Amino acid sequence: MTQVSETPLDGRCPTGDIATRWDRHKFDLKLVAPHNKRKNTIIVVGTGLAGGSAAASLAELGYNVLSFCIQDSPRRAHSIAAQGGINAAKNYTNDGDSVRRLFYDTVKGGEWRARESNVYRLATLSTSIIDQCVAQGVPFAREYGGSLANRSFGGAQVSRTFYCAGQTGQQLLIGAYQAMMRQVHAGRIKVFARREMLDVVVVDGVARGIVTRDLVTGKFETFSGDAVVLCTGGYGNAYYLSTMAKTCNVTAAWRAHKRGAYFANPCYTQIHPTCIPVSGTHQSKLTLMSESLRNDGRVWVSKTKGDTRSPDQIPEDERDYYLERRYPSYGNLAPRDISSRAAKERCDAGFGVGPSGLSVYLDFAAAIKRDGEDVVRGKYGNLFHMYEKITAENPYKVPMRIYPAVHYTMGGLWVDYNLQSNLPGLYVLGEANFSDHGANRLGASALMQGLADGYFVIPYTVGDHIATKKLKPVSTEAPEFGEALTTAKSRVESILKVNGKRSVEQFHRALGHIMWDNVGMGRNEKGLIKAIDSIKQLREEFWSDVKVLGSGETLNQNLEHAGRVADFLEFSELLARDALHRDESCGGHFREEHQTSEGECQRDDDNFAYAAAWEFKGIGGDSVLHKEPLTFSDCPLGTRSYK
Amino acid sequence: MSHTGSKILNLNLQIWRQAGPDQPGALKAYQLSGISTDMSFLEMLDILNEQLIAKGEEPVAFDHDCREGICGTCGVMINGQAHGPDNATTTCQLHMRRFNDGDTIVIEPWRAKAFPVVRDLVVNRSAFDRIIQSGGYVSVNTGGAPDANAIPVAGHKQQEAMAAAACIGCGACVASCKNASAMLFVSAKVSHLASLPQGQTERSKRVVSMVATMDKEQFGNCTNTGECEAACPAGIKLTNIAQLNREYMKAVLFSGE
Amino acid sequence: MSDSAASPSKAGILDWFGLRWFFRFLSSSIGQKFVMAITGLLLCGFLVVHLEGNLLLFVSAEKYNAYAHFLHSQEELLMVAETGLFVLFLAHLYLAFATAWGNAKARVDQYAVKQTKQAKGLWAASPSTWMFASGSVVLGFVILHLIDMKFQARPDIVYLDEHAPNAPYANALAVLSNPISRVVYTIGVIVLGFHLSHGFASAFQSLGLNHPKYTPLIKWISRLFAFAIAAGFASLPILVPSLSR
Repeated sequence: MTQVSETPLDGRCPTGDIATRWDRHKFDLKLVAPHNKRKNTIIVVGTGLAGGSAAASLAELGYNVLSFCIQDSPRRAHSIAAQGGINAAKNYTNDGDSVRRLFYDTVKGGEWRARESNVYRLATLSTSIIDQCVAQGVPFAREYGGSLANRSFGGAQVSRTFYCAGQTGQQLLIGAYQAMMRQVHAGRIKVFARREMLDVVVVDGVARGIVTRDLVTGKFETFSGDAVVLCTGGYGNAYYLSTMAKTCNVTAAWRAHKRGAYFANPCYTQIHPTCIPVSGTHQSKLTLMSESLRNDGRVWVSKTKGDTRSPDQIPEDERDYYLERRYPSYGNLAPRDISSRAAKERCDAGFGVGPSGLSVYLDFAAAIKRDGEDVVRGKYGNLFHMYEKITAENPYKVPMRIYPAVHYTMGGLWVDYNLQSNLPGLYVLGEANFSDHGANRLGASALMQGLADGYFVIPYTVGDHIATKKLKPVSTEAPEFGEALTTAKSRVESILKVNGKRSVEQFHRALGHIMWDNVGMGRNEKGLIKAIDSIKQLREEFWSDVKVLGSGETLNQNLEHAGRVADFLEFSELLARDALHRDESCGGHFREEHQTSEGECQRDDDNFAYAAAWEFKGIGGDSVLHKEPLTFSDCPLGTRSYK
Repeated sequence: MSHTGSKILNLNLQIWRQAGPDQPGALKAYQLSGISTDMSFLEMLDILNEQLIAKGEEPVAFDHDCREGICGTCGVMINGQAHGPDNATTTCQLHMRRFNDGDTIVIEPWRAKAFPVVRDLVVNRSAFDRIIQSGGYVSVNTGGAPDANAIPVAGHKQQEAMAAAACIGCGACVASCKNASAMLFVSAKVSHLASLPQGQTERSKRVVSMVATMDKEQFGNCTNTGECEAACPAGIKLTNIAQLNREYMKAVLFSGE
Repeated sequence: MSDSAASPSKAGILDWFGLRWFFRFLSSSIGQKFVMAITGLLLCGFLVVHLEGNLLLFVSAEKYNAYAHFLHSQEELLMVAETGLFVLFLAHLYLAFATAWGNAKARVDQYAVKQTKQAKGLWAASPSTWMFASGSVVLGFVILHLIDMKFQARPDIVYLDEHAPNAPYANALAVLSNPISRVVYTIGVIVLGFHLSHGFASAFQSLGLNHPKYTPLIKWISRLFAFAIAAGFASLPILVPSLSR
């Protein structure tokens, strides 16, 4: 049985009028005087949208920033792959958008499992993000007259998404990267590329540093500072096949968890509906086709089971446009979790298309007929090009085939309103935290959250920690650093010592299978219990049979991968346990036992309207569950309907 | 599942193996069979590495990350062509259907003085970061930016800026240029910011400073061969280099820089 | 840039004239290409004038002689022009060597295999790849040409005294009729055309003049120019010997 803490967890949110909470809170936060900031060092791990924007903004304020990234350059973090866009409540289109509506859509989209205060702040800050990025020179799409263009995205009935062709994430990240590089030039940021964070160092109960491994030389290093900011992304690669970049991992978050930081809602995983289907057992990675495609593409399958006719041979009246049928008001722009499950439902029922039967059509014929091929090419040219590269099929002529894939993880390290974890001095931003998306994230909201956290939240809240804690300088000679260093080293050494027979890749794929089959789009008690057992067993096999060649003193990509898989093998069990404990369906967490007659999620607000924050009590042990009650006053609990 | 017409290939690989930055390297031959034409080029390397591990030989180190052509991490010379035979394609987007049964494929790292080899096919491209550090940005602090629509940008100007900003920083331009010149990379950033009103204040300073850093990093000179443009997976055009030349001349001859 | 301010102790003649920026410009990669382009284009201009004068060979001996004597009568002007031409040529040459040297250093380890990705078929034969080599051949040709014509020092050719009224025409004919010259001159100007077919258009790119509206035209003009120059000059060793004296 799960051990539950008696004391409810407090998110330390301000109270009163929701619209002014952040403003009032900012005033209450203590400040660090400009001349004192340069005496403080802040460690920022990760250089995606959250990490890049945080590092740049903190350095602009005058702090010394040490920035770490696992890639060879800060410009390569996986935020770069976000395609479709970024939401902001600008209401430039005059179609009824407002901060409150973005807030409402996000809470509803997250199936009332996010914190109202955080979401409202996010919606408020969304407009400043666009201003900031434009000032940096991010080339957002424009109307001919020169004003900013917008498009619509899933889960919204307004056009509030700003975009840079199909490369919005890239352009926003380059913007943050450039801001960072400016601070490197100014001497206020020091970048440590190709470094992997392996531990958080806690001194007197406060996070004061990190342990890293230099991936090129294999050297272990320790760094001390006055705050540690983790911006290390999500854990989707626990499923092996996902749309994540290959280096995305849970290691930094998991090691922080092992040092005492609570891990919240790990079972909330987002399965994106429009990805290119798996083509074989060799597949190493899945590719997303932006949700923006659903603005013009129509999703359908045949009305006949096991129809093997080619799509052009299936007449219009024998096609089932199932999203338009089931969700007439949102149609093809139904939110991601709902569209994904609808695709799975059709494929499981035997209506899937393509050689494997595990895909559905995304058809642009109507849009091409209406607007012409050139217009469609102008909007989605790069995505169509990418699709054709991978599949060797021309989507201008043949409908795309798509299938859902793991894409984003809403869960993450637990943080309070200040984005500080329960470990003082440890801040968690972006996808790595759990706070803003609840059980499901709406399209074009991840970029918004990463940048809001980095540009506009952390610069205020980290100062409060430094000003109130009055930290004494700590050196890396302190015993706590030595202990963390030894722990990190010995873990790497023990991996090298196993010298078994199976490759890391094999273990990772095996874990992925367990996760996708049992903890994927549909979950049930039996499958979850089975998954927990299988993960345990796989973990044991890993530590007795993994084969990693070479040494720890050079670039050894296999060894890096092994360390990450080892952590996934521990973390995935927690994910499955969280899914097992959450005996309801909500957003990205669909328990088959709890669905309406129409196959929609059935929440249990009486028993599960809380964020589940897990405290580490040993690997595979019974973690302690801390519940943060969620209350909804400005967006009252309701039914999430997109019909 | 496999696509109609997928085939199985047997390949002769010649791969550059180098244990470390200061170690000697050489091409090593590998036979690889049973490669499906549906695989990506990197998946083919994954399979090779799995086989090497099984045999007790250290796997080939190569850089890769997003595997969808946007992060710019991957990049190797494939039969003497940066990112392989296709235009507008990164190594990770290249698929094995582009090859034939029995082909010999020579795989080498990017070669340039400014990009020293780290190991096998992995090189150090931090020179690009240093070029951006010397001026590839708009100096604006967080906070206090005017409303986004207060800075109008004509549609065609935005498209021009976007086309240049699409650079993924992979280094194929340097690798493919017979002179190992970084002009296409530098010009993409200079053009991107010079096309926008936000980039005007530092326009002259930026170009002078970035070119000085580029020269200092020991990249070669541009001799207008156009090879970079053909190799660029992001479609960055030579017109950007002309613009860079123009911007530089204007800055040096007529501004205070 | 703050570089100039960074080393005040080294203030020298450049600072007196306020020309440190100019020196920095000349030593930058783009500045060098700029000078390369300007000198190249000016040399192209010289080629046009030179060809015009030479084609008088086909008009008549009198016209050609008159032209040559007129040139030589303007001694001071000629000296200035020749010096200018020499400086242009030297600058072009120096930069060619300097960039080639720098470029060689920029890639120490060579590829085992290297192929183009440009859609231009025979990369190996593309002019842009061979600028240094074609330039070197042109240099050799120019030296020989100067020995032949300017210094009139070819041992195997009998020159008329340059003050003789018919000397320019006769000497030109003597050189151009020599079998070795015919072969060398023909090859020399063809290689020159090859050099120009890239160089002319490339100069515009180096000067920053590249625009989708004009560049295709510039490329065609470049090829046409290169062909005209090569054909024009090649006509001399090929056709002139058959002219009746």
